[in-house]
Amino acid sequence: MIKKIFLIIKNNILLMGLVGILIGLLSSWILYEGLHRTSDDRFCIVCHEMKPMVAAYHNDVHGGNGKVGIKVSCVTCHLPHDNVIAYIATKARNGVVEGAIHFFGNPDAINWQANRANRQHFVRDEACYGCHTNYKTNEAISVKGREMHEHYASLKGTDKEISCASCHVEIGHKGLRSMLNYYKPEYEYYKGKLDTKKDEAEKKLAEEMK
Amino acid sequence: MRKKRTLCVLGFFFIFSVMSLFGVDTNTSSPKINMTPELKKEFPIKAHHEKLSLSCTDCHEGQGDDPKDLKLIGDKGCLSCHKTKQFLADRLKFMDALHTNPHNSIHDGPKLYCDECHNEHKPSENMCLSCHSNDVKIWMRPTP
Repeated sequence: MIKKIFLIIKNNILLMGLVGILIGLLSSWILYEGLHRTSDDRFCIVCHEMKPMVAAYHNDVHGGNGKVGIKVSCVTCHLPHDNVIAYIATKARNGVVEGAIHFFGNPDAINWQANRANRQHFVRDEACYGCHTNYKTNEAISVKGREMHEHYASLKGTDKEISCASCHVEIGHKGLRSMLNYYKPEYEYYKGKLDTKKDEAEKKLAEEMK
Repeated sequence: MRKKRTLCVLGFFFIFSVMSLFGVDTNTSSPKINMTPELKKEFPIKAHHEKLSLSCTDCHEGQGDDPKDLKLIGDKGCLSCHKTKQFLADRLKFMDALHTNPHNSIHDGPKLYCDECHNEHKPSENMCLSCHSNDVKIWMRPTP
């Protein structure tokens, strides 16, 4: 009798464990799929005001315009990767804030040109050297480039710290300044005169997003 | 006689070691220039270079450690960081539509010397202004 009860408990614990593992796996799968499917340009552009940024991204090696067709998703560069909690929290907060601006705010008032000066704030360095691991030693980089990468590393952790985007100004979005000008010219002089360029970019973007 | 020869050989050996030591010294050391506030005032650098904490020797490589002796670095020096003239022209592609791209001008293409417009230690001069004095400011910002 005692033996039988012990067996049932043992069985139950095993069952509970199995159910637990299943629930765990299922929720991580949902979380993974959820994070994965909401990470690329197709999804982000739904709410974020970023047509010109995405159009410029498609011109860049990071956006799939390289010889080998590798494409990094928006979140790779723009979300923190040092901590998974911070990653999810930032993603959620950005989603809510950008969604609110898109639906209730005034997206036209965003000064894209001025925001280019804040590029260091929008790009995460750990994402850069997460892929470009040998940026200090890679001999495909010019001697000067390697020297400057040493300079970058030597400033890390000091009050003079710089970031990858400090020097690599249009990284990830080739021709960003031009693309922003097609959509929203920074000088009165260009207003209305770059519309054909904008139409071309829109058409190309629409095709790429199909 | 033998002693003399040995002495000569030793002497040569000593002289060459000292020379090679000096040679090594001048080739590999990158002198650090101590930037005093006075020097900073005398040789101001552009805000965007200041922000990157660049030092004199980052541009003036192998030119010693006296700021007064440093020479112009020329296009080659500028382009060691700023890639190529075509790259710089492409970054301002939107200006091409109205032929206002200073890095791909209608007169010279992407071929001008950097220092025809850009100066590092004194205010830059926009060459376009010498003919287009009235309208330059409506199609481009002040020269960095």
